[in-house]
Amino acid sequence: MLARLFPEDRRVWLLIGGITLTTLLFFPFSYFVMGVRYDYTLRTVAIGGSLLGIVSGVLGCFAVLRQQSLMGDALSHAALPGVGIAFLIAGRELGFLLIGAGVASWLGVLFIGMITNTTRIKQDTAMGIVLAAWFAAGIALLAYIQARPDASQAGLDTFIFGQAAAIVERDVRLIAIVGLVTFVVLALFWKEFKLITFDAEFAGANGFRVNIFSMMLSTLIVVAIVLGLQLAGVILMVGMLIAPGIAARQWTNKLTQMVFLAAIFGAFAGGTGAIISAVDTDVPTGPMIIVVAFLLVVISIGFAPERGLVWALLRRRGDRHRFAAQTVLNDLFHYAYDHGSLETAVPHSFLTGVSGNVAELGLQQLLNQGYVQKRGDHWQLTPTGAEVASHQFQNALLWDVYRQYNELLNLPLIAEDRRQDIRTLLPETAVQKLEEKLEESVN
Amino acid sequence: MFQLEEILINFLLNFFTRVEINAFLRDPQNTATIIGSLIAISGALLGTFLLLRGMSLTSDAISHTVLLGIVVAFLVLTSLFNQEPDLSSPWLIIGAALAGVATVVLTEAIYRSGLVKQDAALGLAFPLLFAVAIILVSRYVQDVHMDEDAVMVGEIGIAWADTNSHCLANCETVTITPDDPRAEISRQCTNCRELAISPRDEAAVFTERCTNCGEYTPGQAWQAGLVENEPVLVFWPKSITVMLLITILTLLFVTLFFKELKLTTFDPALAAALGFRPAVLNYALMVTVSLVAVGAFEAVGSILVIAFFIIPPAAAYLLTDNLSRMLIFSSLIGAAGAYFGYDLARGSFLGLFRVDSILAGLNRLFNLGLLEKWNSSISASMVLMIFFFFFVCWIFSPKYGLVSTMLRRWNQQQRFDDQVVLAHIHNHEGTAVENEELAVDTLYSHFRWSPRKTKRILSKLQTRNFVHIKADTVHLTAKGRNRVWTFRETQLARETVIP
Repeated sequence: MLARLFPEDRRVWLLIGGITLTTLLFFPFSYFVMGVRYDYTLRTVAIGGSLLGIVSGVLGCFAVLRQQSLMGDALSHAALPGVGIAFLIAGRELGFLLIGAGVASWLGVLFIGMITNTTRIKQDTAMGIVLAAWFAAGIALLAYIQARPDASQAGLDTFIFGQAAAIVERDVRLIAIVGLVTFVVLALFWKEFKLITFDAEFAGANGFRVNIFSMMLSTLIVVAIVLGLQLAGVILMVGMLIAPGIAARQWTNKLTQMVFLAAIFGAFAGGTGAIISAVDTDVPTGPMIIVVAFLLVVISIGFAPERGLVWALLRRRGDRHRFAAQTVLNDLFHYAYDHGSLETAVPHSFLTGVSGNVAELGLQQLLNQGYVQKRGDHWQLTPTGAEVASHQFQNALLWDVYRQYNELLNLPLIAEDRRQDIRTLLPETAVQKLEEKLEESVN
Repeated sequence: MFQLEEILINFLLNFFTRVEINAFLRDPQNTATIIGSLIAISGALLGTFLLLRGMSLTSDAISHTVLLGIVVAFLVLTSLFNQEPDLSSPWLIIGAALAGVATVVLTEAIYRSGLVKQDAALGLAFPLLFAVAIILVSRYVQDVHMDEDAVMVGEIGIAWADTNSHCLANCETVTITPDDPRAEISRQCTNCRELAISPRDEAAVFTERCTNCGEYTPGQAWQAGLVENEPVLVFWPKSITVMLLITILTLLFVTLFFKELKLTTFDPALAAALGFRPAVLNYALMVTVSLVAVGAFEAVGSILVIAFFIIPPAAAYLLTDNLSRMLIFSSLIGAAGAYFGYDLARGSFLGLFRVDSILAGLNRLFNLGLLEKWNSSISASMVLMIFFFFFVCWIFSPKYGLVSTMLRRWNQQQRFDDQVVLAHIHNHEGTAVENEELAVDTLYSHFRWSPRKTKRILSKLQTRNFVHIKADTVHLTAKGRNRVWTFRETQLARETVIP
């Protein structure tokens, strides 16, 4: 199995394994070294938070890839009235509250679809409408419920910002079971979900019922949101949903890897956030989880291999330096060549006059590489520099000839990339033909 | 601010008496409706442009982050400058507006990095900023104006109680110094507790402290019984002034830059080519949106405000195609929602029925044991009413409503059916296959319709005198033929196939 993977694949899998190991080692480390006491409450909260992070991280990947991040926002806000109504009907039973939340949020999905299908209102506005109206209904219901004389409603508003300390063992078991069911569904329809995520039109043309699968995926996302409500709260649930996915997206281009990474990131963010806020009860859980998750995103955007901003910046700097060096070398060579000898010293003012700011940068580079030496305020090519420069010059000339005569000389077709040595790209006979042609046109 | 209120009050005094104004403003419904309508109008005006530019959810982002701006400015003012700012302090408003613009810039920066899609950038940036704000609030701010509840729903219901008093006559400001005969001086033992001695002990040291010294406004002086004549006062809710200023600003912005806004909204490329600088105008729009969000924060909280930006313009969008009318309609819908929303919070739905009676009915039917008195959040109810108006527009809008669309489709289908039958007859009348093609009994098979449908359409065409039946075959009347011709001339001529 491992042998079939590409090298960069193996790297990402190694990374996944590494992070998992670190996370697993974190618990004994914090227990023995930092002295964090994992009593019953903290253990429950930590496990609950991590499980939720896994479920929402995995399903959030699809929301991110389908460009429906804000849908997640609308849906989590839309869950609030369901909590209120379920409470009025069935009382404070977590299962019923979550079912109510799910139904309300799912009705939100339907309503968004209905508005966009029957009017000219676009999806973002429709989401805004549902978000605001459903949320207002939830707030109105909660305000009504809070007017009740008894205290049974206490803690219902933890659904707004989330409260980790409220999680008990039974909740954790519920999360685990429901999460497992969603994963089974995800695994069963993996191919279909992957297809409609990346190319819905192609899926439709091949006879897949895009609408049904899209609805199923939305339902799974609703399930993830509902499970997370107690921990993250309706307002910030979207962050817990999409942040792990966004972070994971930076590290890999493969869906499987992205899902695994998102699960790990989610577990980390959920677990850490829940623990911090359980230790310090002044800090609501939802916001803490978001902050941790966002840190993961920042690290990923900054340092992920290939895509990371830091590497991109470094790459751009390298390109600029190489370009400057090449330009100046070219300038030097031509000046010297036109003055008859490659040993001619070139005045500094000429170089800055021709290439401007690039000249200083390029000269520095060339000096470091040992291609030039300074003679007063003149610059002179070293023997190696002269050799490299003339080689480059020759290469450029050959490229020119190739571009002009490749059809006439019946040469094989290659992509024009002048940074490469054309003599290594073409077969020997072809190079010979090119050189002959060059001789001919020079004379 | 204070002067502005005085100008307003003097203006109003031309029409009403002082007692009337005070009575009007002391009614929570009136104050709440005024503030709600002001928010709704300014929100609707800006929201219209946001909707047409496809940026509705930007208002969502801005309203979330405005909270961070307010909290940070609040903390800076209290801890660094030892001030006690209230929510109408200009520093808070400026801080919040800056935060709003910063969000827009930040999400654009994330998006431009090319690593994250635009929706994800928005969905990432504003929960984060909101989360930071909430952590700051719950850890560092101990102030009634800033607890989590106020962040969610605002305090529009008690806005009437937070007033500036304006004095019209008998104005006497009183300053009490410790030398004043009215000063109440209390002696306090400073070292009794330390030395554990009684105040009667000789070693006791006393300081004198004036308990009622300080400046008294005319209203406070009267209340404290320091003046003899009752001052003539007008109590003016502070929130009205702030929101009024912001609304005027919004109105000015929209009217002064109407042409520019319209152009950059509908054709940004042309606007740029003509030298209008769409980017600058865009940021100006964002600043105004932030200002409205800040102004509305105290009244309706930081999340419900997006309803005022998004829902009324969406409803108006279903009513009209004209930009000016859309602006007016959305303002009206928002203001109406604010007015009836207050009633809804107190249990009356548009004056048609009472929510209490529904609750009672539910109790009777399902025995739920609900509290039979509906008393709920005012700001949330306003949003619900606005949503109700949107719903009504969606169903009944004459132009784009569900009902009218359905009727239009149905009509079209009817006319199409008629035309198909007429054209069929016209094509085959007088040809060799006439008897076969136009036989009444088998006519339906040529359209693949059910016999019943064909019969129904035939009889309709007969009563309208387009066809007549002769020897079991259908024929066009002169009128029917005429109809086919006009249809072909008007409809088909346009769709000539280009060879």
